[in-house]
Amino acid sequence: MPVGLDHLKHIVVLMMENRSFDHMLGALKARDPRIDGLTGNETNPDTQGEPAKVQPLAEFQSQLDPDPDHHFPAVDLQIFNDDNSNPRLASMQGFVKSYFNQQRDVRHSHKIMYYFPPEKLPVLTTLATEFAVFNRWFASIPGPTVCNRAFAHYGTSFGQVSMDIFYIKEPYKSVYERLIGANPPHTAKIYYYDQSSSTIEIVNLLQHQPQLFATYDQFLDDCKKGILPDYSFVEPNYTDHTTGSGEELASDQHPDHNVQAGEVFTASVYNAIKQNDDLWQSTALLIAYDEHGGIYDHVVPPACMPDGFVASPNDTLTGREFRFDRLGVRVPAVLVSPWIPKGTVVDGRVFEHASIPNTATKFFLGDYAPRSPREANSETFLDLLSLNVMRTDCPDFNIG
Amino acid sequence: MAVIQVPRPPKEAMNPDRPVSTLLRAQLLHFHAVEKNLPTRLRTKTYVHAIKTEREAADYIRQVTEAVFKAHAGSAAPKSRRRTRKPPAQDTPGDQGGAAAGTDSSSTP
Repeated sequence: MPVGLDHLKHIVVLMMENRSFDHMLGALKARDPRIDGLTGNETNPDTQGEPAKVQPLAEFQSQLDPDPDHHFPAVDLQIFNDDNSNPRLASMQGFVKSYFNQQRDVRHSHKIMYYFPPEKLPVLTTLATEFAVFNRWFASIPGPTVCNRAFAHYGTSFGQVSMDIFYIKEPYKSVYERLIGANPPHTAKIYYYDQSSSTIEIVNLLQHQPQLFATYDQFLDDCKKGILPDYSFVEPNYTDHTTGSGEELASDQHPDHNVQAGEVFTASVYNAIKQNDDLWQSTALLIAYDEHGGIYDHVVPPACMPDGFVASPNDTLTGREFRFDRLGVRVPAVLVSPWIPKGTVVDGRVFEHASIPNTATKFFLGDYAPRSPREANSETFLDLLSLNVMRTDCPDFNIG
Repeated sequence: MAVIQVPRPPKEAMNPDRPVSTLLRAQLLHFHAVEKNLPTRLRTKTYVHAIKTEREAADYIRQVTEAVFKAHAGSAAPKSRRRTRKPPAQDTPGDQGGAAAGTDSSSTP
């Protein structure tokens, strides 16, 4: 076993919101051709038949307004562009058409193709180029937040493709319950930003097991004291709000929240781990986005192992059932650890959010039977901690 | 070891009066479903469908989150012990006589 894996004691996952790989990291292809980003020639037809090209004009805020549609029917359009052949052809040509549907403004619809130049995202860019960036990390389903995040917690969304409430079904347990219920038990926590932001997992987890939860302030304190649980999941701030401590800016990067605020939050999570030497050398930090938010990406989502559930045409609202046999659109995902070679580009392997509980379960528990077929067959990512000598050249972030 | 500067967003980025997104709207409905399971004394008096802004959403979410913790803390608290009334003695066939013993029972929250 590589020395890095021998040292590993903690896995931390930070899941951000609603940005595609090309939108956030596509520009890195110009710096490193191994990164499957943008050539600059990618286009989508607009509703007048003219090609709308990708452009490095993404802004931090007030551009993607209205919030691009990322529900199942819209994502279906984005991927298949209304193709009705049998089998259907996934072309990734429907993004501009989909965004046009929301405001009926041709010029505005082109903005769905905009991406960030690397200098505007110093944190994500640095982490992607200093550690491991995944060329093929996809949302688990071509749909919205709630069901995609479910794959990160349970390895399945229990047949849900929308934002509606769903309930855990036996025999599948959340990764937290597996770890805590093991013999000997492990420790696990979900850190939400504060009580006003709280968690997306209110119905199945917070309602029944509030002891699994703590605030981000607690995360910072736990990092400082070196008492982080074995497995931690961090949720960003989902709203602009005020507390007794002052103004709290949403940091999830969900449109139309400020993207720079998310950069600050990501840097804060990284710094909290890195500033404790023991924690830094024993932690793997995964930063991933739950879904693409309706924003352009050029990579066709692949087929995948079904997870045993089926969404009816009434659920998908597309007139077709969905067998959970195709992944969602590609999202940014970066793995951080001083045991990862600098500039690692993970290619040729397909990851999705079910990889998260699979990785944590396999690492902490080994064999564990009651998991969805999707999770059981998903890739794991800790093999990327391949160095035998820990790096001492990892960057620091100075938050201004 | 490189030190990367991370600029903070401008103050104008803050807008708690921003209309709720579809994500936030869904989160509100999830919280509302959970609120309905809480003891009556812990429920808010908020009509969740009238929530329009992030400020209002955050306030409601905070209240329900706090209430969930309170509900669990309340059910974990030691219960007061209260004797139940003994039922009146009755002669029934096969009875050897004597009233059924009363039992101590927990009070409900």
